[in-house]
Amino acid sequence: MRIAPFWPLAAATFVIGVAATFYFNEYYFVAGYLVLQGLIMATAWNILGGFTGYVNFGSAGFFAMGAYTSVVLYTAINPPLFVVIPAAAVVCGLLGLGAGYLTLRLRGVYFAIATLAMAIVLETLMVNWEYVGGAIGAFIITEDVPFFASYNAYLFVLMLALAIGSVALARYLNFSRIGRGLAAIRDDEVAAECAGVPTLRLKLISTTVMGAMMGVAGALYPYFVTFVEPVSAFSLIVAVNAIAMPMIGGTSTWVGPVIGALLLGSVQEWTKVNISSELNLLIVGVLLVGFVALAPQGIVGLAQKFAAWTREQREKRRGDDSATA
Amino acid sequence: MLRINITCLRAWVLAGVLAVSLAAVAAFPSTARAAEPIKIGFSMTLTGGLAANGKAALVAMEIWREDINKKGGLLGRQVEFVYYDDSTNPANVPGIYTKLLNIDKVDLVVSSYGTNLIAPAMPIIMKKKLVFMTLFGLAVNDRFKYDRFFQIMPSGPEPKTDWSRGFFQLAMSQSDTPKTIALLATDSEFSKNAVAGARTNAKKAGLEIVYDKTFKPGTADFSPIVRAIKATNPDLVYVGCYPPGAAGIVRAANELGLEPKMFGGSMVGLQYAALLTKLGPQLNGMVNYDFWAPEPTLDFPGIEAFLEEYQAKAREAGTDALGHYLPPYAYAYLEILGQAVNAVGSLDQGKIADYIHKTTFDTVVGPVSFAKNGEWAKTRVLMVQFQNLEANNVDQFHKPGKRVVLYPAEVKSGDFIYPYNRAR
Repeated sequence: MRIAPFWPLAAATFVIGVAATFYFNEYYFVAGYLVLQGLIMATAWNILGGFTGYVNFGSAGFFAMGAYTSVVLYTAINPPLFVVIPAAAVVCGLLGLGAGYLTLRLRGVYFAIATLAMAIVLETLMVNWEYVGGAIGAFIITEDVPFFASYNAYLFVLMLALAIGSVALARYLNFSRIGRGLAAIRDDEVAAECAGVPTLRLKLISTTVMGAMMGVAGALYPYFVTFVEPVSAFSLIVAVNAIAMPMIGGTSTWVGPVIGALLLGSVQEWTKVNISSELNLLIVGVLLVGFVALAPQGIVGLAQKFAAWTREQREKRRGDDSATA
Repeated sequence: MLRINITCLRAWVLAGVLAVSLAAVAAFPSTARAAEPIKIGFSMTLTGGLAANGKAALVAMEIWREDINKKGGLLGRQVEFVYYDDSTNPANVPGIYTKLLNIDKVDLVVSSYGTNLIAPAMPIIMKKKLVFMTLFGLAVNDRFKYDRFFQIMPSGPEPKTDWSRGFFQLAMSQSDTPKTIALLATDSEFSKNAVAGARTNAKKAGLEIVYDKTFKPGTADFSPIVRAIKATNPDLVYVGCYPPGAAGIVRAANELGLEPKMFGGSMVGLQYAALLTKLGPQLNGMVNYDFWAPEPTLDFPGIEAFLEEYQAKAREAGTDALGHYLPPYAYAYLEILGQAVNAVGSLDQGKIADYIHKTTFDTVVGPVSFAKNGEWAKTRVLMVQFQNLEANNVDQFHKPGKRVVLYPAEVKSGDFIYPYNRAR
């Protein structure tokens, strides 16, 4: 039976990640956690933004709703994280479905504006909902977990598993019948519809999966920062990173956001403690402008171009050789 | 088929190489612990929403470092700072403190500025059982209940209600006792907490709440809000807000002639040179919280020299020109930690915490002792009344008699002019 190299690599990454929590100090997990959070957000964004061609500016809204699902559950019954995470996925998946149903009639810039507006509406709701702390915010008190060196190591391992799961799902969507349908919508929605692609259903699948993934990324956030209030949960930085990472990596395949997130996320974590936190935003901005202007297909696009060029050169050389022979 | 297996094999080999190299890096710890200077690590809001305060705090903290090093340092060792900018983003804080503790190997830690940026560090600090001196968080330890936590803002042992206690004591001790109150808050952590405390105190005092609303940060036009408050004709108006709101509300109240018997509360910004100078006489009669003013009752040893040095540096750093609000406390929280370390004679965190708990410290902000929960043992949130302010004159705020301290009684520096319109 054919096993794609993806699976052994994913398994090895997870095993190494878990093993590393026993060797390395906590800082690397905290930094790694944020990189992985970015990776899930980027992968999620790309399902709608890259595969389907609908630009979502409201990522922070889904992320924060994941976080607030945790806060609600924590306040009510404080369940274990393996209950919190699926709950956030369900809530945000439904949110994605609902938002998709309402806004997918809109195209292009109007859709983008609608997603941004949705995030603002959600933020206003949270600010005024006293049960989750409202504008005052809510504390989440974490307790040590057995087996892991620290709570942050535990969160890192969870995030790693979730990130691998998200990437696997995105990869499946990319290669499956659904992915081809989504690509058809991206290229020409009317033509796709005429060719019998069930566009609305596919678009709703992609908004639901995107919402659920972002919710999962947000679900652990309250446990990570221990104090959640709307301003930081709905932070624009979350939304900007979710767009910048796939743009830099390349939006057409599942690999793009992974590369973009690992690269940009690591650079951001490095600059945060070596130069300045504020520089992060500048780096994101400059890279984003640079890639959009010079390499709109991202790093994956550049790599494909380079591969095509080398192939061409090789063939040319072979042609020359046979000519001389 | 063979080709597929090779790709698969490649992936496994790659994974193996990765694992081996990771293990190799782990086997050689990168830095050896330096023996000499004592390193104090912290995160600070040097950019982002709270940058103005974070920068002012850093200037004050650096003055303390120079002062202590001139005196021979801590335990005979020089003091060094290791700090990172958290850009007022709570998500940056866990990374910064884990780096400080695990890679930079700092000896002592203190906090960033504000509740949002203190809380994310708590689990990390608690796990390592370190003393945590914190800067201006509101009731952070109510939930964590950590016995090595200390907080330098003089809110008092019950931070939320102690905060506005003075305002209500003053109001209720007047012969013409107020009966109604209007409450207004920005939708943000600090303001809403302050007003929640005021609500409790108002109910306790038997006041009728005739207006109780919030507004969004970023609100520009306050006339509709002030008109609505005026329509309820309250005896007291208690506002919790940040500097932009403070400027807008004071202006609107002046333009629309809002004149309750007492007006003020927890308006952040009415302690900074820029806003005080800009609003000037429009502030006359208002009663607002403060932490220090150049009144004779607050002339603690060292404060004058500190402010002189701070004000000289503030010009270069571009921070608040007066420095009466946060900087003395940013100096004091290190002062207390330093005094405790030197008194204990070691970096034993348990002993340092015990010492801080049982000692009254002499600092530039006066004598400080802590309650069991790490807050000040007794509230010293001042209630000051603006009196006789002139327009566009920053120098007047260096002199006494402009922000007259009315509460608490032990530092009272002048008489309360009541009702509000008598001081106009």
